[in-house]
Amino acid sequence: MNRRYLLFGFGAAAIGGSLPLVRWFRHRFTPLPEFEMLADPKGFRKIAGGEFSLSGNVFSGIGEDRKAAHELPLDAVRRNICGSLFGSSSGNTDVVPIASFSDFYCPFCRVQTKRLGELERELNGEVQVTWHELPLLGDASLLAARAALAADRQNAYVQFQERLLSSPFRANDAYLAALSEAIGVNHDRLISDMNSPEVTQQIRESAALAKTFGFVGTPAMVVGRTVIQGEVSDAVLRKLVDLERTENWIDAC
Amino acid sequence: MLGLRKFISVLLLAVFFIPQSANAASSEEHRSTPITARLITAQDGIPGDTRSLSAGLHLRLNEKWKTYWRSPGEVGIPPSVDWSGSENVKDIEFLWPAPTRFTAFGIENFGYTGDVVFPLRVSLEDSRGPATLRAQVKLLVCSDICVPEEFALDLTLERGTGIDQGAANLISTYADRVPDDADAGGVRVAEAFIDDDLEELLVSIRVDAPLQAPDVFPELGAGIALGKPDIRLGEQNRLLWARLPILSADPGALEAPRITVTDGADRSFTVLADRATQELPPPFLRAATKPDVLEMVWIAAIALLGGLVLNVMPCVLPVLSIKLSSLVRHSDIPRSCVRTGFLASAAGAMVFMWGLALVLWGLQRLGMSVGWGLQFQNPLFISIMIVVLLIFSANLFGTFEISLPSSLQTRLAGAGGREGYSADFFTGMFGAVMATPCSAPFLGTAVAFALAGRGIDILVVFTALGLGLSAPYLAVAAFPGIITFMPRPGRWMLAVKLGMGVLLLTTALWLFWVLAGVAGMRAVWAVAVFSGAGILVVSIPDLRLQYKWPLAAASFVLALAVGPNAQQPAAPQDAKKAALSWVPFDRGEIARRVSAGEVVFVDVTADWCLTCKANKALVIERETVRGALEAEGVTAMQADWTRPDERIARYLESYGRYGIPFNAVYGPAAPNGIVLSELLTSTDVMDALARAGTAALAHGNAGQD
Repeated sequence: MNRRYLLFGFGAAAIGGSLPLVRWFRHRFTPLPEFEMLADPKGFRKIAGGEFSLSGNVFSGIGEDRKAAHELPLDAVRRNICGSLFGSSSGNTDVVPIASFSDFYCPFCRVQTKRLGELERELNGEVQVTWHELPLLGDASLLAARAALAADRQNAYVQFQERLLSSPFRANDAYLAALSEAIGVNHDRLISDMNSPEVTQQIRESAALAKTFGFVGTPAMVVGRTVIQGEVSDAVLRKLVDLERTENWIDAC
Repeated sequence: MLGLRKFISVLLLAVFFIPQSANAASSEEHRSTPITARLITAQDGIPGDTRSLSAGLHLRLNEKWKTYWRSPGEVGIPPSVDWSGSENVKDIEFLWPAPTRFTAFGIENFGYTGDVVFPLRVSLEDSRGPATLRAQVKLLVCSDICVPEEFALDLTLERGTGIDQGAANLISTYADRVPDDADAGGVRVAEAFIDDDLEELLVSIRVDAPLQAPDVFPELGAGIALGKPDIRLGEQNRLLWARLPILSADPGALEAPRITVTDGADRSFTVLADRATQELPPPFLRAATKPDVLEMVWIAAIALLGGLVLNVMPCVLPVLSIKLSSLVRHSDIPRSCVRTGFLASAAGAMVFMWGLALVLWGLQRLGMSVGWGLQFQNPLFISIMIVVLLIFSANLFGTFEISLPSSLQTRLAGAGGREGYSADFFTGMFGAVMATPCSAPFLGTAVAFALAGRGIDILVVFTALGLGLSAPYLAVAAFPGIITFMPRPGRWMLAVKLGMGVLLLTTALWLFWVLAGVAGMRAVWAVAVFSGAGILVVSIPDLRLQYKWPLAAASFVLALAVGPNAQQPAAPQDAKKAALSWVPFDRGEIARRVSAGEVVFVDVTADWCLTCKANKALVIERETVRGALEAEGVTAMQADWTRPDERIARYLESYGRYGIPFNAVYGPAAPNGIVLSELLTSTDVMDALARAGTAALAHGNAGQD
């Protein structure tokens, strides 16, 4: 009788103990992708041979005012590229910053947001995610972007996106009130942030960054000094975070 | 590697597009990594007499890329086109081919992959002038990254005639995929129920022709997203029921539920559903959603009873009676042997049922939608059953006392009690095989329940079925004494045999009827003639054995090989509603019929002609006009211009026409024809028919004339 329990316990321990082991093995043997340096902006690189070549495609969103595209703060973004990408956090070289670009209408963006949210929580303090919105697809896109950034100001960006995971965004007050309550943010503040010039400026800066890096669509992300467009596995992402830390990502800034 | 792939795809694109871009019916292409896009028209030029053009927006999405339907699903955005730069264009109707469902990253989306053509019904301001289609296209294409595409396409058509076959074929292919309306789709009733809390949508649609593997795409209004549907079929697959969770509710946006149903690539329809005030009951309950033990027991009991009843069905009864009578004949067999033998038969029946359960479970796992009764749509299956049934009924009628009764007969219906019990085992299995054609009407509910459920449901239902079916064997095995109550063999057995033979023959005749519906009369004749020949061969008593069996086997194999393949290419699509009986176009015939006092309605049409399709759906096939065309003394004549046809071209030319749609009515009062306008209205057609007709047809007009 006792022996059987012992065996059970041992088995459970073995299974439980092997999980981190498996994870370690996977991490150890995940091959890193090959990189290719970007001609512009200097110091950054991309994963070679992806779906797209970032050939400096002119960034233009559907529904975006053409004239407004010319007035993007391109020079300001170039002067302080890391600050624009990663916010003010970019002082500590031990923390790897990640800039995530997404759009409300893009299915895979939601997956990326969720993954990055989990990564940030799991690698507590090792990475810091900055959320950018690239509303490429008209008014609903733009309004959802404003709401997402306003939610981010109350540290509820991921919750906001998860809440939206399977429901179209509707820009009426009743909807936003219900949403605010569901994700636990202050409704009035959300509304006023949505309409603030700061959020407008933030979206314009994100657009300028996208143009600078030659993004062709969403989602996109910049991990330290590596640009990624399209899907990348969780294992590769974790490996990349380690690499960026040891290779001193801040050199790109 | 990448370079090579790119090179090949460019090469393929070049091969595909160059023949068409050589003439005027295609615009310059827009090319990007995800897509190649162009505008196409069926006509090479503006014929000068038609206000309508058949055009299309052709997108070729490269591997992994998708774009979206008008209701994109949970996220995504549909393509939109701004035509404002067009010249000499009055209106453009953008048609949406039926979408497919993608589930990626747990998100439901509806749209297109690979090639898609959005048919465009263009009406012109001035039928004589050249026209320019100028499209400003905005669309979202996604793989694991979403790229907004915005581009312009220009296509100018000068005055001219001619049809671009490549473009015309593409347009007609995708025009066929645009969902039919409720009438053409054979919809009888469509109801939708939405609960007060806007939590779920229930849909119930009854159609004329059975569905196979339908998918449902309801649209409730802008921004109302729905989750994955739970689809169930009932009433011989003529009832479609679906439940969909409403993911985002906005009472203000709620519109009349518009339901699009697709069934394979060739069948789809869109219907506006009536709002039901009460919940719509599903055709059967699904254990997966509500694992209720009591319900399970109930279903198992029904299956058991069904299996039991199957024993007296015409397909199984003969097998059982052969088995029992063999026992009566050999009443000297020791009881233990009887017991084991009957247990072996029961095991045979069970093994077949479990095997069937395993196969169905495997199919279900593979994501194939399996339904009971589906085997009756397979001509080969039906033919096999017919041949087997015919052989057995012939045997029972005594046309041939199988000249090797000791081997074949005992193998099939085992006398029991010899070395091993394999014969008994196969008797049981054979009985179960024979039971399948008779099971559909009885077991529909139980089997549908099982097939829609989990693996365990399938196991339980089929076990119960097998137990029911083998209950007689089990009863004998339990109480071998009951055979002493069986009447002694005698003359009455001949009568029973004859009765059984009639039952089997009736079943075979019923299957012939089913086969006629599935594969047509030619298949019926082939199976009947060849299997009849086979039976005749075995029934000739004097034929030497070494010829007899090979000959018989050959005819039965022929019956199975030829019968199912003699399937007539009759499109079931057309059969769903009896089409108007059109007379093929013959110009000489018009005059002949008119001189005989008839009225002739001529319709020049083509598969690619979008306006012709609209005319057909909205006017010609609708009542009043349809009735008038089917009336005595009226001939409906159709000229199909899908392929170039010199005769039709010359006919059109004689009216100074180079484009279609073209409709004209001839009659004693109008021997030169009344040419109708391009866009038909039923009043115009009725009026023309009346004016062209004689006094007999146009009573009302007689007085005025």
